[in-house]
This record gives sequence, structure tokens and C-alpha cells, in this order.
Amino acid sequence: MRKALSEPLRYPRPEGLTGEQGISLSKRPKQKARNWKATLRRIWNYLSRRKGKLALVLLMVLLSSGLSLLGPYMIGVAIDRYLAGPGGEPWALFLAGLAAVYVLGSIAGWLQNIWMIGIAQETVYRMRMDLFKQLHRLPIPFFAKRQRGELMSRMTNDMDNVSSTLNSSAIQIFSSVLTLVGTVVVMLLLSPLLTVLTFLVVPLMSSGMKWITRRTGVLFKERQRNIGDLNGYIEETLSGQRIVKAFSQEERVIREFGERNARIRQSGFWAQSISGFIPKLMNGLNNLSYAVIVGVGGYLAIRGTITVGVIVVFVEYARQFTRPLNDLANQWNTLLSAIAGAERVFEILDEDEEDQDEGEAGPVEAVTGEVEFTQVGFSYNEGEPTLQNISFKARPGETIAIIGPTGAGKTSLIQLLSRFYEADSGSIAVDGRDIRTIRRESLRSHMAFVLQDTFLFEGTIRDNIRYGKPGATDEQVVEAAKLANAHSFIARLPGGYDKVLHGDGSGISQGQKQLLAIARAILADPAILVLDEATSSIDTVTEIKIQEGLQRLMQGRTSFVIAHRLNTIRRADQILVLKDGRLAERGSHDELLAKGGLYSAMHQSYGQAD
Amino acid sequence: MKVVFRTLSKYGVAATVAILLMLVELAVELIQPMLISKIIDDGIAPKNVEVVLLWGGVLVGGTILAFAAGILSSFYAAHVSQGVGYDIRESLYGKIQAYSYAVFNRFAASSLITRLTNDVTQVQDTTFMGLRFMLRVPLVVIGSIVMALIVHPGLGFLLLLTVPILVLFILWVVKKAAVLFSRVQLRLDAVNGVMQENLSGMRLIRAFVRREREAERFALRSGELMQSSTSAQRLTEITQPFIVLIMNAGIIAVLWFGQLEIHVGSASTGEVVAVVNYSLRTAGALSALSMLVAAFSRARASARRIDEALVTENGSGDGGASSPVNTDERVSEGSVAFENVTFHYPDTEEPVLKDISFRAGTGDTVAILGATGSGKSSLMQLILRLYEEDGGTIFIDGRDAREWNIRALHGSIGYVPQEVVLFTGTIRDNIAWGAPGASEEQIIEAAKSAQIHETIIQLPQGYDTMLGQRGVNLSGGQKQRISIARALVRKPAILLLDDSTSALDVRTEAALLRALSGMACTTFLITQKISSTLNADLILLLDDGRLIAQGDHGELLAQDPLYRRIYESQFGEEGSHAEGAK
Repeated sequence: MRKALSEPLRYPRPEGLTGEQGISLSKRPKQKARNWKATLRRIWNYLSRRKGKLALVLLMVLLSSGLSLLGPYMIGVAIDRYLAGPGGEPWALFLAGLAAVYVLGSIAGWLQNIWMIGIAQETVYRMRMDLFKQLHRLPIPFFAKRQRGELMSRMTNDMDNVSSTLNSSAIQIFSSVLTLVGTVVVMLLLSPLLTVLTFLVVPLMSSGMKWITRRTGVLFKERQRNIGDLNGYIEETLSGQRIVKAFSQEERVIREFGERNARIRQSGFWAQSISGFIPKLMNGLNNLSYAVIVGVGGYLAIRGTITVGVIVVFVEYARQFTRPLNDLANQWNTLLSAIAGAERVFEILDEDEEDQDEGEAGPVEAVTGEVEFTQVGFSYNEGEPTLQNISFKARPGETIAIIGPTGAGKTSLIQLLSRFYEADSGSIAVDGRDIRTIRRESLRSHMAFVLQDTFLFEGTIRDNIRYGKPGATDEQVVEAAKLANAHSFIARLPGGYDKVLHGDGSGISQGQKQLLAIARAILADPAILVLDEATSSIDTVTEIKIQEGLQRLMQGRTSFVIAHRLNTIRRADQILVLKDGRLAERGSHDELLAKGGLYSAMHQSYGQAD
Repeated sequence: MKVVFRTLSKYGVAATVAILLMLVELAVELIQPMLISKIIDDGIAPKNVEVVLLWGGVLVGGTILAFAAGILSSFYAAHVSQGVGYDIRESLYGKIQAYSYAVFNRFAASSLITRLTNDVTQVQDTTFMGLRFMLRVPLVVIGSIVMALIVHPGLGFLLLLTVPILVLFILWVVKKAAVLFSRVQLRLDAVNGVMQENLSGMRLIRAFVRREREAERFALRSGELMQSSTSAQRLTEITQPFIVLIMNAGIIAVLWFGQLEIHVGSASTGEVVAVVNYSLRTAGALSALSMLVAAFSRARASARRIDEALVTENGSGDGGASSPVNTDERVSEGSVAFENVTFHYPDTEEPVLKDISFRAGTGDTVAILGATGSGKSSLMQLILRLYEEDGGTIFIDGRDAREWNIRALHGSIGYVPQEVVLFTGTIRDNIAWGAPGASEEQIIEAAKSAQIHETIIQLPQGYDTMLGQRGVNLSGGQKQRISIARALVRKPAILLLDDSTSALDVRTEAALLRALSGMACTTFLITQKISSTLNADLILLLDDGRLIAQGDHGELLAQDPLYRRIYESQFGEEGSHAEGAK
């Protein structure tokens, strides 16, 4: 019991709590302010695309704010004239007027919300789309550097925060400003002295808010970072669940999860506690102004300067101008994390895109498939060259086998050809044209890939095969599947071509996935074909069967084949032997064998291993 | 909601304190209009300045008290909500880890991820709001009505009349909104699913120039999400104007009857003003309701999804984290026998393994060979107990596998999956993942056996090199070997290699197999290469889920036509040469 009582007061205090960081930020206010301002301005840019509707909303906000000023005023009049006073024009008529004000106010309030929700949801939709499109414009190295869960967190968590805040807070900012101005004007007209007294709380409020926000800014950022960290961990361990299970590491991941979870609790506790002061502060000041108005107002009423009705009106007004602020303050949590979230979203939008190769780069129409590497060099990390001085030429229709020990740079070479990565030096040309002058998408549309990691999308088998050529007919799909030797197993699946594949537990084997990937490439019908370990998980008998199809597929196309199997390699027109990122040997099977170099040694060792 | 309440009850004391402190604030606020009526009737009307100042002073004192209570309550409410979020995450994650693999796969991983992240946050934020505002609204309403009844029973009764209408209306909205918001959540799942798929398949999408199509697909899903969010939110937004309207009708009634009462002398001006003030307060409190209704409905949908994951049976065959650890128990011999084992996956009807029987002795190397989809990986998953067989029995160390403590069993098995899964962290971490207590020597030894040590030490940071999500800077074969080292560092009694050498070149693979043959473990090796089966003690040849032949290389070559075909396909004219070399 005692522990339960004292626990909430004994959380370790984070650095952000001193406000020191906040102060140092305010010492260089420009940077901080610019970030917030820039973020808000960008949100506004999205919103402002629906100016017409926004204007309507604004109109309704004006109307409802005006009516909400009129209501309490009329009650004040009613008290002075009909309750405390002698009465005047018919009482029923007056009340009917009040009823009309109320009804109109409700309608205006309803309309403004309905419209604003539409605008906000559209805005979020557009931001989501922009983000999504941006992802597809980012260079591949960007993804290599980021944790996928962390990226996901930006696109889901942060987006959600923005969404929920736009709905409610945007309107409240409008209406609170309007109500505030209107209230002040009417209050001044009724009693300047009471007005001044009411507004005495404002400086208290602003200094209190400053104290709070200086801390919460830092705390919320910290919390958001911890959340991103945890989400990344969740993503990784759940995606790799099979390994966690097979190695019986459940306890360990639970423990590591627990550590991250505890960090969230700590930073979340402080962020929430401190930002929770805001509504309390507002409430307190509200109550204070209430006491002042009633006390001083009562004194003034006795002196006869004002009426009882005016006190009632003031009490209600004072509450009314703080209420929107209060609502806003209640949502300060969401607002802060929304801005932080929007910042993180915009961060991705601001990432350097793959140069969009507009301008000098153009599309290519038909490609014969001639590929030439001239002294190409490349490294993932500076100072550790992955490929050095690679030169070779593939004539249209040739099959090029790339072999070499693991880590020799085989896959990297392919990545350069497809412009996933850009060469650091030298040049790569397709049909004699430097690929840097060809638009990436145009370049890739002439290529088809069967990559090392087979990736299938959620969807039917048919859709997955059709992936590279969306317009293909069902017959063409079956045709391609037959060539890839996938037809027979597909036909045996429940649902056949319409069987829906799901992520990990899809019930088809790795080798079958590769067959589908090959069918996909066959259907795409490219000028340049890239097979990166395409048949590594396929058994030999099946491979012989596909081999036929692959041979037919490779006919008339330039094909790059990374493989370990000798019979695949032997048939190649050229064999590139890579070692430590250099092109060690180049030639046909017979040439290289005759040469007695690295290839013939490898060939020999294959025999010995057998 | 069950889970939320159960978790909440753990924080009963702190939650009670938070609520009590809120009640203090509330009491101060509720007493204000009553004090106004006193000031008007006893102070202003008889022109008594002292009464005015006295009650004014009481108001100021109350304000300070309420503020202090409010600040303190903030800490307690934050403690409760963060604690609830923490506990739910903890138990949900623990629960997921306790699922059997079959149950785990029934949920999509992405759906479990959303439940752990978004849904828990939703519940947590709502708990915080609940402790501070949500309870406050009904309390303000009830308190105001009670106070109004005390001030003037007749007029207070008018206020009371509005309540049943509002309660019915709100119940209707909450019910309807819950349905709409759970649809929102479903569609959010779909949007996130597409997003995740795009992130994982980014290279392929680019390679096939499918950006536009993916964008269309995403636009479709986000469009649906936009639509349902809009309609859900619009429903909750009706609440506020409607509630205010009803309350305002009440105010008009109070004014109308109040005036009549004053004229017959049964009410004072101060009393009518106080009742009007209470009505205004009720309306004000209720106007925040739409926001609360929305938050509450979303939280309810989220809580339901969390519940669903928490009440799901763990599934048999794999006790996961929930089964006790018995460190003494270990597989000692590593012998494995299948007796008439039949198996099909939970989501399909056709069995993938039919009537499999074989026996592998201690230290044997068993090569599993077969066409794509013939059941090779499934067989391994059964040894791993990721799934449970439908019929027949699997014996490990001569003991029914179902009787083994699952953790003891896993502790003795080294598994290398077909698809490489590495975790964020250093190479050292990733290898030590297999045996958390492993010493530096053991890690290096495992790396050497896996033929990756030389590569690692050539990296600038060596064993401290960081690996990204999927070990991006290493080649496929290098990642595969780290994954092998991770299995070897466990010093397993049974080693399962699920086609784990596919990305290795012939020379590296041969070296690896040589290193493995020196280890004292029973090795199961799924392979496509005859070169790896030549030295195996037992070869299992699978076709379409059936074990069509078993024996060593010589036996199979002599007896089985399919094996011969495979052999010839790989060696062809080379075959004789290889035979000769042997």
C-alpha cells in the first residue's frame, strides 16, 4: 500500500526535466522555432489545397463562435430584465430567440466538424501517398541503413498522430482565437474593470505554459524515440520468430523487450505527467478568475456599478474563452506528438531522392541487350572497395556466367547494372549508351530479375506471376508457369492459380517460390535477364526440367547468371571469374580450362569435392 | 476490455488516489455556483460587502487546493496509464512468444505488430484520459444535478429530466462507433500491410518497375481507410451538437419556470442563477464528450484486438516460453527415429508428409534429397517441434518427442534455416545469439567451423561489425555462414541444415562439410547436390511427401532409378571422373 502510494513519486528524473535543454534551445530560438514553424507551414500547405471548403469551415466557425457569445449574453439580459427586474417585451418571445440562437449554434458547430473531418482525412491520405511515393524514389542504400520497423513506425504511428490531431485541434485553434477576441470585446463593453481583472491570469498562464513546454518538448522527443526503438525490436523479432523459437530464445527476447518497454514507461511517465500539468494549470486559473470576478463583481454590484446579470455573463465568458484553450490543452499531448510525428514524416520526405534522372536522362525504346562495363569501381563503404576495375563486354544474346567465392562482388555487379547502386568510377553502357543517361525505370523495364531472396507478395499465385507484366492474359501466365516447371505443383494446390499467398506461413516451399520467381521473369520477356542464384533451392531433377525452359528463355537475350552449378556455367558464352572484387579471369569454359588458372582450379576442386 | 480492467486493478491504489484527487478538484468547482447564489442573495441583495468578501476568499482558497490536487493527480494518472501500457505490452509480447509456431502463423506477423504498438498505445492514452477527464464528465454531470436539486429541487428536476435522453443517445453512439472504429482498425492493418510489403520487397518492385501499380494499390487501401475514418469520426461528431442542444433546451426550461417561481416567491434570483450555472456546466462538460466517445470507442476496439491475442490458446506441441526450463535435461545421443509419421499444415488439407519411417543413429549424417515441395523442410520442422505430427511417432534419444521438454530439446538442436534471418547488432552478437553465454573462443571456433572467420577478421571492425536489418552489407553466402556459426556455437547434439549451403561456392561448401564431419553431432542436411550426399551415412529420398528410398550412396545408386537420374544429371560424363577420384 505504502509502496503503491509512493511509487508514482519516485520515478528516476530524466535530464529533460530540468528544462536546461529547453533553455539552451531557447537561447538559439531561431533553429527551434524554425523547425516547428516549418513543420506547421508544411501541414498548412497540405490543408490549403482545399481552400474553398476551409473557407466554409471558417465561416461556420465564425457563426458558431458568434452565437456562443450571444447565448450567455442573452442569459445575462434575461436575469437582469426578467428574473431580477420587472420584465419587458414578451418573455416567451425572448426565450424563443434564445432557442433559435442555440439551434443555429448547434447546426453551425456540426457542419464545421463534418467538413473539417473530410479535409483532415483527405490531408492525411495525401500525406500518406506522398510518403509512399517518396519511399519508391529513395535510393536503395537508404533502406540498407535503416531498420525496417523504425521506418514502419514513422509511417503508421506518426501518421496516426498527425491524423487524429488535424481533426480536432485545427478547428479548436480557429474557434478559440475567434471566441477569445469576441469575448474580450463584449467584456470590455460590459465592464472594463472586471475585464482587466479577468485577464490578470493571462501572464500567469503564459509563464506557466512556458515552464511546462520547455520540458515536454524534450520529453516527448525522448519518448517518441523510445517508441521507435521498441517498434523496431518488435518488428525484427516477430519477423524472425522462427529463429527465436528454434533457438528457444523466447526468454531472452522477452527480457530485451522488457528493457525497451521499461524505457518507454519511464520517458512516457514524465512526458505525460508534465504535459498533464497543462489542463490543471488552466483549471486553476479558471477557478481563480471565477473567484475574482464573483468577489470583485459582487462588490461592484453592491456599489451599483454593474448588475447581477453582468456577473453571470462574465463568469460564463471567462469559462468560455478558457474552455477552447482547455480542450486544446487537454490535447496538448496529441498535438506535441503529432508535430514531432509530422517532423519525422517530413524527414523522410526530405531525404535525398535517387536523382530523378530527369533532364539529361531519357528513356530507351528497344534494347538489343549489349552490355559493356568499362573500368568500373564501386564500394559500399568508403575505403573498402567491393569492385575494382571491372571491364567486359556482353554481346546481344550472350549468356554471361559470373562465378567466384562468396563475397567476391557477384551480386554487387548486378546491383550496379540495375542501378540500385551507382558505380563510383568507370562506366556501364547498355547498347553503347551510358546507363546514367537512361532513366532507371526505363532501364529496368528491359530487364527481368530472379533475385537471391525470392520475394512474393500477398496475393494469388496468378498475380505474383503476372507481377512483371500486369497486362498478361491467363493463358500467358499458365504458359510461363509451364516453362518454369511450376505448373504441375500449382495445379495440385487447393485453389490452383488462385491460391492466395501470405507472408511467412504460405505453405509453399522455398524452391517452389523460386519457380514462381522464374515464371515471373519468363513472363516479363526482357532483353536482359538476371538470374542471381535463381535455382539454388531447386532440386536437380526439377532444375533439368526448367533448364530447358531457361535455355529457351535465355535464347536471344543477354543473360547474366550467378550460379555455382557447373552445368549451368559450362554452357555460358563468357565466364567472369571474380575474386576479391577484381575480374580474375574471363573467357569461355574451354578457354579458361585450357588456361589452367583460377577457374580450372575451381573446376578441379569441384571434382575433388565430389 | 477484460484485460485492461484486470491490469488496471493492479494499479488500484494509484488509480484510486488519482480519482480522489480529481474529486477534490471537482468538489471545488461544483461548489462555486452555490457560493454565487449565496453572494447574490445574502451579499448583493442586502448590500452586505463582508459576505461577498468572505465567500470570495473561500473561492480563492478552494482554487489553490484544487490546483495542488490536480498537479499531484497528474503523477498518479501518468503512473497508472504508463504502468498499464507497460504491463499489457509485457504480457502480450510474452504471450506471443508462448504461442506455438502454428498459432503464431495464424495471425499475420504484421497484425501482431500493430496490436503490440498502435493498439496498446491507444489503450494507454485512453486510460490516462479516463483517469483525468472521462470520469470527470459523468461526475460533473451528476454533481451538478445533485447540487442543483439541493439549491432548488423544482428547478433541479428540470435538469434531471434531460439525463435519460442523453444517456440513451450516448449509449447508441458508443455502440455504433465501436463497430465503425473496429473497421477503421482493420483497414489501418491493410494499409500497414501494403506498406510493410513494399518495404520488404523494395528491390523487386524496382526491378520490375511496378511503382505505379504499387502506388495504385496503396491508394486504394488508404482511400478505404480515409472513407471509414471519415464516417466513424462524423458519427461521433454528431454527439456534441446534439448533447449541447438538449442541455440548452433544459436551460430555457429552467429560465422559463424559474421566472414563474420568482414571481410567486418560491425561488430567489440567486437560486435561479445557480441552477442556470449548473446547467451551463453540465453542457460544458458534455461538450467534451464527443472526443471522449471517440477515444473510448477506438480504445475498446483496440482492447478487443489485444484480448483476442491474449486469450488465444498457446497451441500444443510447443510450450514456448511458458514451459519450465530444465537445464539438466539434454539430448545426449542425438539419435532420431521416425515411425509412420504423417503431417499436414494447419491451413491445408493435403498431407505434406505421408508415412515416413527411418532411423538415424548418433553422429550420423543424414542427407535429405527430393524435388521442390516434396516435404524436406517440413520434416525438419517436425524434428524442431515447430509443428506437431498428425500420426506416427518421432523418437529423439529413443524417447517420444512429445514427452521432451521443448526447451531442453531446442537447447540441443542447432538450426540453420533456408532464409537467413539476422538481427540488428554486431556479428559477435548474432553468433552468440545461439548461446548467450558463449566465450570469445567459442564464438571464433564456431565462426571458423562455419568458414566465416577469415572474412570477419578482414572487416575493419571485425566481430564488432554492425549488421542491419538483414545484414545488408554482407553477401548472401556470408550471411548464410554467420547463420551457420550461430547454430554451431550451441554445440548441438542435432544439427539441422535446411539447404543452408545453397549460396556457398563449391570450395567453401566442401570445407564446411569437412568441418562438420569432425563434430560429434547428428546432422540433417537438406541438399540438392549429390556432392554432399556422397559421404552421408543415410540418404532420404523424398517425393511428394513420401519416403521413396533410403540408404547410403552406393545402395541408392544401385537400387533407385530416381537417385540415379539425379546423380547423372549432376555429373553426366563427369560422373565417372568423380567416381574415379573417390
